[in-house]
Amino acid sequence: MAAGFKTVEPLEYYRRFLKENCRPDGRELGEFRATTVNVGSISTADGSALVKLGNTAVICGVKAEFATPPPDAPNKGYVVPNVDLPPLCSSRFRSGPPGEEAQVASQFVADVIENSQMIRKEDLCISPGKLAWVLYCDLICLDCDGNILDACTFALLAALRNVQLPEVTINEETALAEVNLKKKSHLNIRTHPVATSFAVFDEGRWADRGQAAGLREPGGHQTQGGEEADGRSLQEYEAQVNHHISKPDL
Amino acid sequence: MAGLELLSDQGYRVDGRRAGELRKIQARMGVFAQADGSAYIEQGNTKALAVVYGPHEIRGSRARALPDRALVNCQYSSATFSTGERKRRPHGDRKSCEMGLQLRQTFEAAILTQLHPRSQIDIYVQVLQADGGTYAACVNAATLAVLDAGIPMRDFVCACSAGFVDGTALADLSHVEEAAGGPQLAMALLPASGQIALLEMDARLHEDHLERVLEAAARAARDVHTLLDRVVRQHVREASILLGD
Repeated sequence: MAAGFKTVEPLEYYRRFLKENCRPDGRELGEFRATTVNVGSISTADGSALVKLGNTAVICGVKAEFATPPPDAPNKGYVVPNVDLPPLCSSRFRSGPPGEEAQVASQFVADVIENSQMIRKEDLCISPGKLAWVLYCDLICLDCDGNILDACTFALLAALRNVQLPEVTINEETALAEVNLKKKSHLNIRTHPVATSFAVFDEGRWADRGQAAGLREPGGHQTQGGEEADGRSLQEYEAQVNHHISKPDL
Repeated sequence: MAGLELLSDQGYRVDGRRAGELRKIQARMGVFAQADGSAYIEQGNTKALAVVYGPHEIRGSRARALPDRALVNCQYSSATFSTGERKRRPHGDRKSCEMGLQLRQTFEAAILTQLHPRSQIDIYVQVLQADGGTYAACVNAATLAVLDAGIPMRDFVCACSAGFVDGTALADLSHVEEAAGGPQLAMALLPASGQIALLEMDARLHEDHLERVLEAAARAARDVHTLLDRVVRQHVREASILLGD
């Protein structure tokens, strides 16, 4: 009966829960879903992480390759993120070229990397003007149950922390790069950006929008990345993230 | 790496297995909430997951609807980080299309499509790490996912790859063995009846040896079946405990 009411009157359905200051899955307004992280499971990738935010699952694989630095910034490398929302993660998505949501997510992740300066592109340079690392960060959403952006950011961060790059030296005589696979070092991650999404529904505020919160109310609007809703729960979330991130690296 | 011995004198392969031995297989069903059926399988280092949506209404043009049976739509995608060298196009390239077609042929043979006319069953397979035997892992994962979705099938579809080195047939090839360039065969079997759903080989193999290689692949597929059967029973047992039956 509840399922029928939810289909016929979705807004009323949510308002009933909001009146009790909770959400259909039993969470408080500012509460996040259970978060699990699994790092380093893909051995063919240089760094990998699988993040589950409740049911939303995103896997990030980082592959490092060589490239020539851009001519206008010869001492910088590249970080290229890409978010893929395949049809397997939800029946909303069709196969074919990346849709709007995937492109927006890719741009969002690129902006996060750029603005937070979590990696200094100068660290990725091996030989100025000649050789630099390019880190391809591919994020694949495996299960889409809302809040993709938070999960992607988290997965990216965990995967970058997991990346180990071998030492590269340029041979003076042959001018070729020599890779020492035995000597690997982690990336220098300077900042740890944490993404939290919020929604405004009527007058209340929700954190960690699940799939259900994708509602548009006539006359209302949705905001994302706005002010903090509840300082306490945000700290809890950050603590959870930091706990996962600060585990000894594998 | 010249002279890499795929089969030593004592009969051990590169990773220490015997000729007919399978890699360690771990599988789980019902891993994703959004899909009707899902499964994840690890065969050695090859990691694949399969997701099934359906049966549902035909997407796109209604003209494609078949009046007497369901349309099976398979898509194969392998992650860019799944291979040693980064793969530029995760889906849409020729190999992915070919794999999708092979998977479709395999499952059209096994799924009882006459029970769902005018509908569509989507099977999506994603390879997260490829270490040889990707077709086999995809088929095994897809079988579990189809079972998890509750779509009726004639029988399990169990697949395994096989090769031929030094007069011995090897089962379940890893990437190193595939890359060595010898003949490789991929077989998808319906174990109960012994019928072959799909058999694929693109290499040169003398017909005198074919019998032995087919035999090795069939035996390996049956071993896979034993394992998958155990996984399904375990999953059903857990599900019934949760439902309180």
